[in-house]
Amino acid sequence: MKFPSLPRIPLAWYNLRNDRPRLLVAVAGVTFAVLLMFMNLGFLGALVSTTSNFYEQFNGDLFLISPQSLEISSTKAFPRERLYQAAGIEGVKQVMPLYAEYALWKNPETGLSRSMFVYAFNPNDPAFLMPELDTLAKRQALKQPNVAFIDRLSRPEFGPQTVGIETEADRRRVTIVGQYDLGGGFAADGTLIMSDQNFLRYFSPRPLTEVNLGMVLLEPGADPQRVKAALEDHLPADVEIYTKSEIILKESRFWIQTTSIGFIFGLGVLVSFVVGTVIVYQILYTDIRDHLREYATLKAIGYSGSYLFKTVIQEAILLALMGYVPGLILSLGLYTMTVNATAGALPLKMTLFRMVFVFALTVTMCSLSGLISVRKAVTADPAEVFA
Amino acid sequence: MSSVPRSTASSSPPAAAEASIQVRDLNYFFGRGDLRKQVLYTISLDLYPGQIVIMTGPSGSGKTTLLTLIGALRSAQEGSLRVLGQELVGLGNRQLVEIRRNIGFIFQAHNLFESLTAAQNVEMAVELTGNFRGKRKQAVDILGQVGLAERADYKPAQLSGGQKQRVAIARALVNQPQLILADEPTAALDKQSGRDVVTLMQHLAQERGCTILMVTHDNRILDVADRIINLVDGRLESDESPQQFVDSHTPKALDQKMFLM
Repeated sequence: MKFPSLPRIPLAWYNLRNDRPRLLVAVAGVTFAVLLMFMNLGFLGALVSTTSNFYEQFNGDLFLISPQSLEISSTKAFPRERLYQAAGIEGVKQVMPLYAEYALWKNPETGLSRSMFVYAFNPNDPAFLMPELDTLAKRQALKQPNVAFIDRLSRPEFGPQTVGIETEADRRRVTIVGQYDLGGGFAADGTLIMSDQNFLRYFSPRPLTEVNLGMVLLEPGADPQRVKAALEDHLPADVEIYTKSEIILKESRFWIQTTSIGFIFGLGVLVSFVVGTVIVYQILYTDIRDHLREYATLKAIGYSGSYLFKTVIQEAILLALMGYVPGLILSLGLYTMTVNATAGALPLKMTLFRMVFVFALTVTMCSLSGLISVRKAVTADPAEVFA
Repeated sequence: MSSVPRSTASSSPPAAAEASIQVRDLNYFFGRGDLRKQVLYTISLDLYPGQIVIMTGPSGSGKTTLLTLIGALRSAQEGSLRVLGQELVGLGNRQLVEIRRNIGFIFQAHNLFESLTAAQNVEMAVELTGNFRGKRKQAVDILGQVGLAERADYKPAQLSGGQKQRVAIARALVNQPQLILADEPTAALDKQSGRDVVTLMQHLAQERGCTILMVTHDNRILDVADRIINLVDGRLESDESPQQFVDSHTPKALDQKMFLM
């Protein structure tokens, strides 16, 4: 790299470049910190999205849920009338109730029972977006008594998922008639989908008048925020209305706050940040210490403290830039590797926001080290060089 | 407590020239409160353009302190200190930085940036004047004058000790300062390089009429001086021509450390 057109001698760059091994160590340190930050944020983002990404498969523009519900598996049911009321609001095309309960699923091979999360809906409703359930014809099978679709992403402890297998759910016969991919988030190890009529059979005496989650489809062109406001106006306070992105946010926020994943990976980012800061500080500090006489000389010949300040901060920013780029490239590689290694269960995705965020963190990290170490240069006593 | 230094009469000022350095009753203290210790006592001194003045004295006599005060590297506290027509006593840090830009400094160690070439090290000084366009030419010119034209693009690690010191001198001279302050400029050099360096300084002083104040223990170069001032325990002991200096130091009074001619 050359700066032929720069009028001022880029002292910061020359100083960094002068000691190649040290520069390499510094850049490697920053790269490492960048990599750690990306991986921690990646894991956090992936886990957070697994807590709530099943909502993506729910075919609703707006969602009705009781204000006492914490997350999908601990919902407080609300009266079905609310959905009928909602159906009368302008812009609403269709309302669909969703019922949810836990059932004990017996592994047909081992005979051991495990708690399975069950969704129930009216098979005439287009409640789900999974390709196995997106047409009425595909949902026909659910209308038979004592049948259910099973989630392929259920834990292996639930046993085989082959269509036709018969086992017990809550001590009642059940036959698997289909499969789908949904995932239970953090709440469930496995999920089932059945018809509302079967739900009545398995969870008697629970009535269908009590709904766990209400899904609202809007007319094409209807403004979700406006319909949401109208629903909030017309419905009593025993339901809250969310858009899809809002309810995903609510769900993931619940899991971040009530579990330690946010803390763990937040701490991971913080530790990477501190490690990076320390590494850069070490490099800058030794650089300043080695050049203290030169810096003092600059002051003696008439350079101000602010010039030295700028030089050190420039060195820090240069290190940030040189470390960030390889860090980003390595992270992209590791993201792909992780996704492949976990067969997609940990959906690490690079987002523009995260790239900008980590870049800002990197620059902050290096500047911070620069600020800590710069004092020594700025306070260099020009009289010292005569001593 | 205070002793009046011997007069500065021995050095007659060049006619009509204004002193580039005028020191009157300068006192200087290190530390504060109970630890306050006086290191310079009522120094009075005039240095004129074209003069090469050598300051000698035992370690701890305050030579370097006086040099750094004149160089605006420390804030003067008491008395009067005029450098190039500007009173330094009572100036703030920012103003002191401005003053320093008019002074050429040569240090015992060359203090060159290892990461920059000889020319770039000199250019760092030129940039202070805001002359970015002609800095390279200026730097190469002055390096030529110190005999290093071919070494302009060498880094300090590729230069000998004498060459490095000459680069440092080029850096000190490139902005044509009216005052040059040097601290043991030949200490790290062998006899021949040391002689080359002082001859160079002598030439430049004569050509440009600038004042050179040099602290040195190196007796091999005393002959280039127009005046020799001797500082002992923070007081001006003597201010003489080199010949007087030699004469006044009888074998009995000889301080071996400072005078081994």
